This record gives sequence, structure tokens and C-alpha cells, in this order.
Amino acid sequence: MNILQMEQVKFVANKEVLLDIPYFSLGKGDILGLIGPNGAGKTTFLKLLSFLQAPTEGDVLYKGEVKHADTLSIEERRQLAVAMQQSLLFDMNVSNNVAIGLKLRKENRKVMKEKVDYWLEKFHISHLAKKNGVSLSGGEAQRVNLARALILEPEVLFLDEPFAALDFPTKIQLMEDLKDILKDTNITTLFVSHDLIEINNITKKLAVIIEGQLKQMGNTKDVIHHPNEQAAPFLGKWKELYTI
Amino acid sequence: MKINRKIFALMTLFILIMTACSNENESVEGPTNEPQDMILATTTSTQDSGLLDVLIPIFEEKYNINVKTIAVGTGQALAMGERGEADALLTHAPTAEEKLVASEDVINRKRVMYNDFIIVGPERDPAEIQGMDVAAAFQQIFETGAIFVSRGDDSGTHKMEWSLWEKASLDPSGEEWYLETGQGMGSTLQLSGEREGYVLTDRATYLSHAGNMEHMEILVEGDDELLNIYHVMQVNDRKYERINREAANLFVEFMVEEAQEIIKEFGMEEYGQPLFFQYTE
Amino acid sequence: MGLIYEGFLKAIEMLLSGDREIYEITLTTLRVCLSAILVSTIIGIPLGVLIGLHSFPGKKIILIFVNIGMGLPPVVAGLYITMLLWRSGPLGHLGLLYTTHAIIMAQIVVSLPIIIGLTSAAFQQIDSKMLMQIKALGATKLQRLVILLKETKLAILAAIIAGLGRVLAEVGAAMMVGGNIRGDTRILTTSMVMEVSKGNFDVAIALSFILMTLAFIITFLLTSLQQRKRRV
Repeated sequence: MNILQMEQVKFVANKEVLLDIPYFSLGKGDILGLIGPNGAGKTTFLKLLSFLQAPTEGDVLYKGEVKHADTLSIEERRQLAVAMQQSLLFDMNVSNNVAIGLKLRKENRKVMKEKVDYWLEKFHISHLAKKNGVSLSGGEAQRVNLARALILEPEVLFLDEPFAALDFPTKIQLMEDLKDILKDTNITTLFVSHDLIEINNITKKLAVIIEGQLKQMGNTKDVIHHPNEQAAPFLGKWKELYTI
Repeated sequence: MKINRKIFALMTLFILIMTACSNENESVEGPTNEPQDMILATTTSTQDSGLLDVLIPIFEEKYNINVKTIAVGTGQALAMGERGEADALLTHAPTAEEKLVASEDVINRKRVMYNDFIIVGPERDPAEIQGMDVAAAFQQIFETGAIFVSRGDDSGTHKMEWSLWEKASLDPSGEEWYLETGQGMGSTLQLSGEREGYVLTDRATYLSHAGNMEHMEILVEGDDELLNIYHVMQVNDRKYERINREAANLFVEFMVEEAQEIIKEFGMEEYGQPLFFQYTE
Repeated sequence: MGLIYEGFLKAIEMLLSGDREIYEITLTTLRVCLSAILVSTIIGIPLGVLIGLHSFPGKKIILIFVNIGMGLPPVVAGLYITMLLWRSGPLGHLGLLYTTHAIIMAQIVVSLPIIIGLTSAAFQQIDSKMLMQIKALGATKLQRLVILLKETKLAILAAIIAGLGRVLAEVGAAMMVGGNIRGDTRILTTSMVMEVSKGNFDVAIALSFILMTLAFIITFLLTSLQQRKRRV
């Protein structure tokens, strides 16, 4: 079954069509990568699919039903967790930052504490628990950001370039951790990135977006090794660089 | 956040308690019947001298009336009467008051007391006016161009000063040495002390300030022209709604009867001389 | 120099002897100022949040007026409130002129724009991505507001401190609409003006100490509240 679906979706800003998606679907258990150059509309795509923004035209469906960003019920919203590119932590300690979503859901205190401890451990940030969220380094903050989303055990997880601002060694390490976690939890995930290494490591399926349009979609390995004509110019550069 | 809430709650509680306290006071005052309000517009000189602080509580207690004393210049006090914004007036500008009587804006105007105006100036007396009569002194100041400080606020004192210039057929306005403060008597006196200028003031205000300006002294006094006569009157309730006629009438009667004993003695203790003199009709 | 010294002594004497009138004036000042700032906060913060978070036609115009209001001379507010409350004015029948309510009204008028203006500025500065992130975390509308208020706590407390400072310092409007009536509408600033014009500098100095102490205590409380978390 498709958890999320787009039909005839268009997003227009300043009379420019930024996104034009005739059809797209995200199935249960998919870990789907969305790759494309900067400015291709990846983040907009994520916002539309997660109901944070409404499309100018067309429909976004959640479990087969048309929903709208403004009318999505809070229960449905709480099934969708998003970690943005910037970690955007709150001015409170790391434990509280990680716990915030559960607090909003009025989770039992004891359960909450157990979960926080578990996810801090999972992301190797237990030692930061009492530090203020706004005083962390980029890598630390991004770990908190991911833990804050994953602790919600959502039906769908949206990750927008979570490693973009990190230095290389930090990125590799966090990537490995995330890969394991996603494998364990089996959460349906949309992973947005412009970096083929990340995509190749983490995702099973891949969609290529260029200039607001989906150019190719399929098994990650297939797409990387057999890009079609439209996807090839972008993916090809990566293959040359890293010889994947 | 917890502390935020606590402090917010504390502040709220504090305000509630204070509001409650003030309500309590009111209910203590009038368990039998609520005191009525009366607005008295008067001159700063009566308040600054402290006379009203003595008289008003006695009146309030006796008649169960809450007097709101608004101390402004005589000009503004009379304007308040003219507009019906006050119930009773206590002022010292006879000519201007008579106009209000003629237009029936005020009624029941009665003479209460007087004190006198004096000319105060620096000890060294650059214009050499000491001991002169008023007209000569003003003439002398005008001719020598010595600094003269005026209220310039349309108050009773200012009106008196103007009538004196007019009688001497002089027009100091615009002269470099003629300073207009636009402020109360106290501030104007302070300023004249700082600038070592001559100033026309009522005796009461000068006496209360004399300690702060030892280099200034009384140079002209005792002239009949310098009488500062106070009248009390009530605002005509036939012209304006919401005038508290009854209270205003009681106040007028109070000022010409009972208050006289106090006026006679007021100031003796502190300055060794009375600040106001009885002067009823 | 002698005058200041004498005033200082007098001030201490008056404060220590617990002069009843001074005590009353101080309480009135506190009651009036805190009531005004409480009302301004209760009205101003929600309005500031609304203006700061939403875009709507006329927002710019409203902000221009709020900003003008932030610099509104208190005597101007005093003048218009006086005319409004005159017996012959539109609200004359309420009998509010020369009461503490009138002073509170004037103080609300001068402090409300500060609180609205600084609150809306704080909310306008919130990253739109942050707003989205909070929504994505599953916060209800009310929860979103609470989180945002916490995030802008520093700026909002600064707004309240600024408003309170203006209210405590204000004298022109309080004189005009309150009338400086003894035992009723006399507050610290208006009685200072009066005592100076009476030549009682020692009393005025004593009052100034009380006023500064009040301002200090309240600002200290709010500032320590504001800076509480910053020690991490």
C-alpha cells in the first residue's frame, strides 16, 4: 500500500513552476532517496509530501485519502516526522530537545525518559544530555536533530540533507549510524540529498529530480548504474568523481 | 518555565491584593453612604503653601465629600470652570473671575482671603528698586534692562504682573531681559534665583522657598496694588450637567465660615507670620 | 552640595520613620504601574504575536503606527485621554478623570505600543524554517505558541522591562489625567514634580530614591528571570 502519494501536483511561486509531479508514490517500508542538484526542488518536494506546505495545484494523498496541509488532523500530523537540513534546536538541554515531540504528545514521563536515554545512546550523545541545544557543534546538533525525529517512531520519516553541513569524517560516522538505525526500525523514509555517496549508502530506492521534475525512479543500484538520458548528466558526474 | 509561571502568578497575586486593599479602604470609608466626589480647581500657590492640605481633610470629614484638588494655574482653573470640568474654584484673578460671573459660568463667588505679592530680587539689586513703590520699581527695571522672570502661564500671578506693566504703560514682551518660564511659581522662583533676576511672587510661595535662595530678598512690598485676593466660587450647574452643586455650595460656605479660623493661624508656626489674611465680605 | 547631603539625610530619615504618606504614594505607584503593565502585557503580547507571525494586508501600516506609538510623547497621550474623559467628553459619564484608572489608561497607551512592537519584532525574527520544524514535531496551535514564547522569552521580557521603565518614568500624562490628588492619584513622579515646585528638595530626593529602588528591584527580578538559562 502507498502511504503517501502525489497526483498532478504543481507548485508555483512568483509565476515560476518550481515543481511539476504528475505522479509519485511512497510505499510502506520504502527507504527512498531523492537526489538532484541544488535548486531542483527537493526541499519543496519534501514539504509538500509532509503536508508542511500546500501545493498550488493537484493532490497529496495520505493512505489513499486526499489531505491538505491546513486541515491535516494533529493525529495524522504526528505520524510524520521531519528533520530539516538545519538542526534548529531549542534553547534547552539536549534531553529536553530530544523529548520535545513526546512532550507535545503528552507521553508518560517514565516512558519518555526511557526512550530519550535509548535514542541518546543510539546516536552516541548520552554525554551531551545536560548541554544546551544551542551550544552544540554541527555534528552533535545534527545527531540531536535526528534523534528528536526518530524518537517519535513515526510512520514516515522525512530527512532533508541531514549531513549537508557536516565535515567529511563526521558525516561518514553519522551516516553509518543512521544506516543501522533505519535498518533496525524499518521506518518508511524519504531521504533528500544531493550527495550520491549518502544515497548509495542509505537508500534502497531512488528518485532523481531535476528542474522540478522527476526524471527517473527505481531501485537505487539500478538507477545509479543505468541512469536514463535525462538523469545521466547529473548522476554521471558523481560516478566519475567517486567511481561508485 | 516553572519559575516563569511562579513569578507571573506572584505578580498577579500582588496586583490582586493591592486592588483588594484599595477596595477595602473605600468600603471602610463609607459603609453607610458612599462619599461623593467634588472637583476643586485651584491655583498652585494654595497647594504649594500647604494650606489646602490642612483645610480639605476637615471639609471632607465633616460633609463626607471626597475633594479632588486639581492644582493648576489660575488661567487653567478658570478655564476648567468655564467648561464645567470642575465643581468649585478657588482662584486669585478678580478681573478674570468677574467675567465668568458675568457670563454666569460661575455663581456664588465670595471673597475668602488675601495675601500679598512682593517683588523679590538679588541682594545686590542692580536696578536699585529697594523700597520703591511698584510702578516706580517696574519703570526702573524696564529702563535698566535688569533680568525679570515672569510666570508667562496665564496664572493669577501672571495676570497681576501684566496689569502692573499695563498700569505703568510699559510692554516688556520680547525684550531680551524679560524671561517667561511658563511654569509654576516655585519653579519660576528657582529660575529667578539661578539667573539673579527680579520676580513678582506671592509671599507664601517665596517664604517656602526662601531657604533655598539666600542671595535673594524681598525688595518691594506693602503696596496696595500688590494685594492678592482669593475668591471661592461654584460652577453654575444650570449650564452644565454633572456639576455637584450641593458639594460646591457647601465648600463655598465652608471657606468663608469655618476655614477662616485656620487661615488666620496658618504659617505662624513655621514662618513666624501668617501666609494668608482673612478677608471676607 | 549641602542641599544634596541634607536631602540624602532627610530621605533616609523619611524612609526609616515609615512616613505613612510616602508609603501610600509608593503603593499607589506600584499598583498603578503594575496594573498598567499587566494589561499591556496581556493585550500586547498576543497582538504582537499575531502581527509578527502572520502576513496580511495592512500589516505594514499597523507596524508603522505601532512604531510611532513607541515614541509617542506621554503628554500627548495625556492630552487626548483628558479630552476623552472630560465631563463634556465622550466618556465623561464614567467619571474617570482624576482617578488612578485614568493614569492606568494613559500608561497603557504609552506602554502598549512598546510591548506590541518589541514582541512582533521578536516573532518576525523567528526563522520560518523553525516555525515549520515546530509544526512538523506535531505541536498543536497552542503548543506551537508556547514553544515560540519560550524561544522568544528574552525578547519578550525585554519588551516588558522597556514598557515598565516607560510607565515608571512617566510623569506628564499622570499629572494631566490624574491631577496629583493627595492620597488618591499622587504617584512618585508627580509628587516629585510637586515637591520640587514647593522647594522641598529633600523630600523630592527621598522620593527619587524610592522610585529608583523600585525600578531597580523590578528590573532586577525581570532581568534575572530573563537571564536564568543563560548560565549553561
